[in-house]
Amino acid sequence: MKKLLFIGILLSFGFSLHAGGPWPQKKGNLYFKVSEWWLVFNQHYTDQGLIDPNVTTGLYNTTIYAEYGLTNRLTGTIYAPLLSRNYMNNLVSNTTKEVIVPGEAINNIGDVDISLKYAINKKFPVSISLTLGLPTGIASAGSQQNLQTGDGEFNQMLQIDAGQGFNLSKGVSAYFSTYGGFNNRSNGFSDEVRYGLEGGLSFIKNRLWIIGRVNGVESLKNGETAETFSSTSIFSNNSEYTSYGAEVALYVTKRVGFSASVASAFRGEIIAAAPSYSVGFFYDMSK
Amino acid sequence: MKNIFGILLVCMLMLGACIGDDFVDDRVDPVLRITNSIDSLAIDSSYQFEFSYLNNVGQEEQIAAVWTSGSEEIISITDTGFATALAAGSSEIQASYEYEGGRAIDIIQVSVGGNTVETEITGKKGTVQTTSSYKLQGDFTLAEVGSDLQLNFGSDYEASTALPGLFVYLSNNPNTTADALEIQAVEVFAGAHSYTIPNVGIEDYRYVLYFCKPFNVKVGHGEIVE
Repeated sequence: MKKLLFIGILLSFGFSLHAGGPWPQKKGNLYFKVSEWWLVFNQHYTDQGLIDPNVTTGLYNTTIYAEYGLTNRLTGTIYAPLLSRNYMNNLVSNTTKEVIVPGEAINNIGDVDISLKYAINKKFPVSISLTLGLPTGIASAGSQQNLQTGDGEFNQMLQIDAGQGFNLSKGVSAYFSTYGGFNNRSNGFSDEVRYGLEGGLSFIKNRLWIIGRVNGVESLKNGETAETFSSTSIFSNNSEYTSYGAEVALYVTKRVGFSASVASAFRGEIIAAAPSYSVGFFYDMSK
Repeated sequence: MKNIFGILLVCMLMLGACIGDDFVDDRVDPVLRITNSIDSLAIDSSYQFEFSYLNNVGQEEQIAAVWTSGSEEIISITDTGFATALAAGSSEIQASYEYEGGRAIDIIQVSVGGNTVETEITGKKGTVQTTSSYKLQGDFTLAEVGSDLQLNFGSDYEASTALPGLFVYLSNNPNTTADALEIQAVEVFAGAHSYTIPNVGIEDYRYVLYFCKPFNVKVGHGEIVE
């Protein structure tokens, strides 16, 4: 059964925060990150791009992200929410204080993304990557079938990344990168065009990084809607957004560091209207 | 490294473990209705009036109404709503109930004549309108067909296809689906269509209500009027 709730696309908020840019890992190098990503929202962008309330919904992902250099040009990547929790609050009458609709929660693995990135040009870094989104999460659970840790569909995304790094002054480095991608979705979901722009500045001999991002998803709106879908069950499609995000990463040793990030949407349709947060630590063999 | 992972896991469980409460502002004005209204009462005959009372969340509640007749010499009425026609003319029959902060009241005009004639309600109508930013609009009529109720929407009906799980209800509270009668999931998003609702009276509900059921998002409603 095909279902996608508001939170479906929210998983991609987390996904976008792990984009590795056009730079491949050197052969045998590993970048590894464990993070906690969460989002709690009680309002959402409607199909008109306006904001309406909804029952408070939370999504927490404990995630591993790893890049490994298979060759000097080919990098394998995995993004795996090992523990994903989705809950909704109780709805309580403000008059009688009685519970109208009891809250529910599920815990499960989320949808796993695996990808291969190939560096076309290393002088001016350009890479292409293919990401496979595996429906390993739960697409519907709970008494209303409204809880999920994944979107229940197998998608394939082709992406091109480009970027450049440079020194601004002694001890201060910078980089920028951009990407565009096409996400081919199955099970009646609309295909998507994805894009993003990222810039970062480093301080303290590259030990502290401050990163800013803009990401976007535009739905081609070529999938099914509640009107065309044969089932009358919960089904939503055509979600899209433009989001901004910021991240701070601090190397506490040569290779190990902590990071914290936040992302939120400038605009959106059928998506949460609240910021998401992430904290984690990483191990970077390239240093 | 293990410690850090453990801390993250514990933080996640602590943060994510809590299902909190969202409060719904579901207060409505209580309503008292005489449910078996008559236009006229045959002289020297009696009639037992009945009523229903919907409390401040639209739930039916058993209370003791106060019955009065505007002209006791024409129609007398007891504390339990038992009326007797005594003389020709007409009288205002009133049922009321004092609740905390107000008074619910229903008044009908009853004449005394040769026959007892029950008030015939042939149908009701209304207009659903969005109370959200999702599209919803349309005029409707309600009619009793045998013991069933038929809810008919006209050609001006239109609803958003973007919401997952849009459902239509009959309710006595426009702010919540608690105690509402779920008719079914919406399958028609534009144009005329109808729903047959078995074993429901035309006086049983006051609103047609649209909710996104899985996310408890109210989309809109329409008041059912005479």
